[in-house]
Amino acid sequence: MNQNGHHPKQKTIILNGREVAFFEGETVYEVAQRNQQDIPTLCYDDRLEPFGGCRLCVVDVEGMRNPVASCTFQATPGLVVNTHTERIETHRKTLLEMVVSENRELEVDPLRGYASQELTDLVSLYEAQTGRFQGSQSGTTNTEDDNPFIFRDYDLCISCYRCVRVCAEEEGDYAISIMNRGFETQITTEFNGLLKDSACTFCGQCVQTCPTGALGDLKAMRAASIPLPIAKTRTICPYCGVGCSVDVLTKGDQIVGIHPAMDGPANEGALCIKGQFAFDFVQHGDRLKTPLIRGEDGRFHPASWDEALDRAADGFQKVEEQYGRHAVYGVASGRAPHEAAYTMQKFIRAGYGTHNIDNCSRA
Amino acid sequence: MTNPTDLELIDRWRHEPAPLLPILHAFHDRDGYLSEEAIRTVADELRIPAADLFGTVTFYHHFSRSAPGQSAPRVCTGPICRLHGAETMLSDLQDQGATPMPCSGRCDVPIPVLKGHTTLSGLTAESLTPSRSPLPDPNPAGQVECVFAHIREPDRTSLAGYERTGGYEALTKAVKTLTPEAVIDMVDRSGLAGRGGAGFPTGRKWHYVRTAPGDPKTVVCNADEGEPGCFKDRTIMDYDPHGLIEGMVIAGYATGATRGFIYLRYEYPETELVLTQALAAAEAAGFVGDHILGSDFSFNLYIRRGAGAYICGEETSLLNSLEGKHPFPRNRPPYPTTNGFEDLPTVVNNVETLASVAPIVRHGADWYQSLGLGDHAGTKIISLSGDVRRPGNYEVPIGLPLQTLINDWAGGPLSGRTVQAVTMAGLSGGFLAGDDLNITLDDPTIRQKGSYLGAGGIMVFDDSRSMIEVAHDAMEFFAHESCGKCFPCRIGTTRLTERLNGEAKNLTHDQWLIEVEDLGRTMKETSACGLGQAAPLVTESLVRYFGDEVRKYVENSS
Repeated sequence: MNQNGHHPKQKTIILNGREVAFFEGETVYEVAQRNQQDIPTLCYDDRLEPFGGCRLCVVDVEGMRNPVASCTFQATPGLVVNTHTERIETHRKTLLEMVVSENRELEVDPLRGYASQELTDLVSLYEAQTGRFQGSQSGTTNTEDDNPFIFRDYDLCISCYRCVRVCAEEEGDYAISIMNRGFETQITTEFNGLLKDSACTFCGQCVQTCPTGALGDLKAMRAASIPLPIAKTRTICPYCGVGCSVDVLTKGDQIVGIHPAMDGPANEGALCIKGQFAFDFVQHGDRLKTPLIRGEDGRFHPASWDEALDRAADGFQKVEEQYGRHAVYGVASGRAPHEAAYTMQKFIRAGYGTHNIDNCSRA
Repeated sequence: MTNPTDLELIDRWRHEPAPLLPILHAFHDRDGYLSEEAIRTVADELRIPAADLFGTVTFYHHFSRSAPGQSAPRVCTGPICRLHGAETMLSDLQDQGATPMPCSGRCDVPIPVLKGHTTLSGLTAESLTPSRSPLPDPNPAGQVECVFAHIREPDRTSLAGYERTGGYEALTKAVKTLTPEAVIDMVDRSGLAGRGGAGFPTGRKWHYVRTAPGDPKTVVCNADEGEPGCFKDRTIMDYDPHGLIEGMVIAGYATGATRGFIYLRYEYPETELVLTQALAAAEAAGFVGDHILGSDFSFNLYIRRGAGAYICGEETSLLNSLEGKHPFPRNRPPYPTTNGFEDLPTVVNNVETLASVAPIVRHGADWYQSLGLGDHAGTKIISLSGDVRRPGNYEVPIGLPLQTLINDWAGGPLSGRTVQAVTMAGLSGGFLAGDDLNITLDDPTIRQKGSYLGAGGIMVFDDSRSMIEVAHDAMEFFAHESCGKCFPCRIGTTRLTERLNGEAKNLTHDQWLIEVEDLGRTMKETSACGLGQAAPLVTESLVRYFGDEVRKYVENSS
């Protein structure tokens, strides 16, 4: 170990005056992140190939005339990097002011999506002045896209292409792409049609990576007017066996939306249409609030829990007595909580001593 | 003759490298435009996601998606053609569905109008006639030339005509008597540097490719001459196609590359024909193909036509375009020398650079070195256009005074006029004016003035021109051609255009200057490629040389 605590053979760079180690292939941005040197970005999503579009992550590298984009620039031994020089911070502020100048509004409801506050937060952090560089606005809005899940408000698009890249690189759908060029650039589907006529599977990953709320979660946005704070509860999506981590968003007692957990070990921010959007049943008006027992008349009648459980136990017992324990087969519902699923299998396995237990959405 | 079927069009190209562009062109030529059905068929057959292919097609300016499409007139509205009335021409041809196109590389024969595969030119819609590239005038000062030395020989485009003055002798010498390393060493010692604008030493680039791991290696000729005010590569290819082909094969021999592409801009359809015929002759004579001149060295060459995108002259955009990807520039490093076409080592050289190679191999490094003036090595072709008596291509010794070129070689400004400003590097170098017109044509000198020689396009504007308008048109071009990948260029080129067209009305003169400077600085230092880095040189030099005009303009528009 040398005086900086690095193995002599370990390769290092000088990051903001401090010698830090790097791994082969690591970008300057990744090294800086690991060393708690926060570099702002807008086109970066650590799950995706570095793109180098927003240029906010530029840093000064000794010996290079122009700043370099740290997200695409690999660390090499002895590199001397400064991430927050005055010139760099000025560029960042100017870049943010340029971005703001092409957008209709900055304040968007956080229910639009997981990353929807990124631009707003950076503008505050850099005290970027809105109102500079006024001119035409880019992006043609497409809020008429007829689908119940994804809001497409391209007035707020800043052309970072995270949506296009997450669709291709993570979901493998290639449903959206980049149309035209320069200031006329527009996110599009094939032949600029509706999402539902495209290869889109409505996984919602484009929504959750969008840093401006140009893409919004339509289901969550229904709750925007509820004047309560958003609470997040980490859990696992019950729909199938993959085990995607999610954060359930609630306002008061109401579930208002789902965020994929970016640090979920099984999904790393990915979800499918069910995990992302299918939660209405939880608080749906049609949901049963009391047990029902089918009467002699063939119709359901409200009953107390005691009556209902007695009736069920009766039925189970008869089956077991008549046909044996393997005659019982339990299917847990993907829409039930994990605790219920656990209890169900316990009931079948421990209660009956049979392995005839399954789940409706076993993937 | 019946039209070929979709599958016939696709099968013609699908087994060649870089098949997407020729397939799209084949449909575009057959149908007159790219229909949704055509795009879906190509996407299916080449296994490209339909949304991706659709997006990529919309990137290219010349792919029409509706009739009249391919055959409708495209009128050059580049800076020089605007001086000659291009906008009137455009409106006169409106009834034929005419659309504007950025500088189409014929500033020596205004105003070019492209109709299908034919270039017409004339100053009015009535006077349009088929147009040929003018031959460069004999060197006005009797200077020894490199690239143009034999270009005026009759029948130069045929193999026999080319061989009459030593054609393919350099290739023969290289393959039979020199090792690849010796060829690289010779090019290195000659001082030849990239003539497309970047000025990177050619020998060093070749060395990097030769020693980079990975096969097959590729030589790409950047013939996407899209820089406004540049028309030299077209002249070279139109009159000396074998000079380019020989240079490419030598580059292949030196670097160990076995395949090459000429990426030709859409606006040069006649040139494609010249190249295709020359390539066929060179193949038939055994100068291109397998076992060249009986050796173990094989090199196959393909011509690929662009579809209207200035950014595809940026080498990594060009490579993405060849590969059928969205033509955004790539992040560098890594460079094409290690990760080029199909992620393999690739030389990307400009037409003029490659056309200089055979003469260097024939006459030696010292000979080429000595062609420059003073300490400067070699020659540079300057495309001179605008308000001068004899616009055209001139091969100048590097280090020649600009005033000598304009006044002695090209006859000076028009009668009763004086030169107000010139552009450098086509448009990318911004303007030079005043005392800075007394420069010599070499990069160290020009860079001291905050500009660069680049691809060698120089447009002359006399005292009758409004430099605000010229600057506006220049910035509008950059905004039109910005690819949209990086923020500073995509937004900045549009904001600077707006500040030159009277739209930013609520700015005081001071605010205007600060905004333009702030935009320019961030574009210059943080843009991802040369387009965004160079575009603000236009406003920077406008403010530097024409401060009074800027003040008047801003005060009048607020």
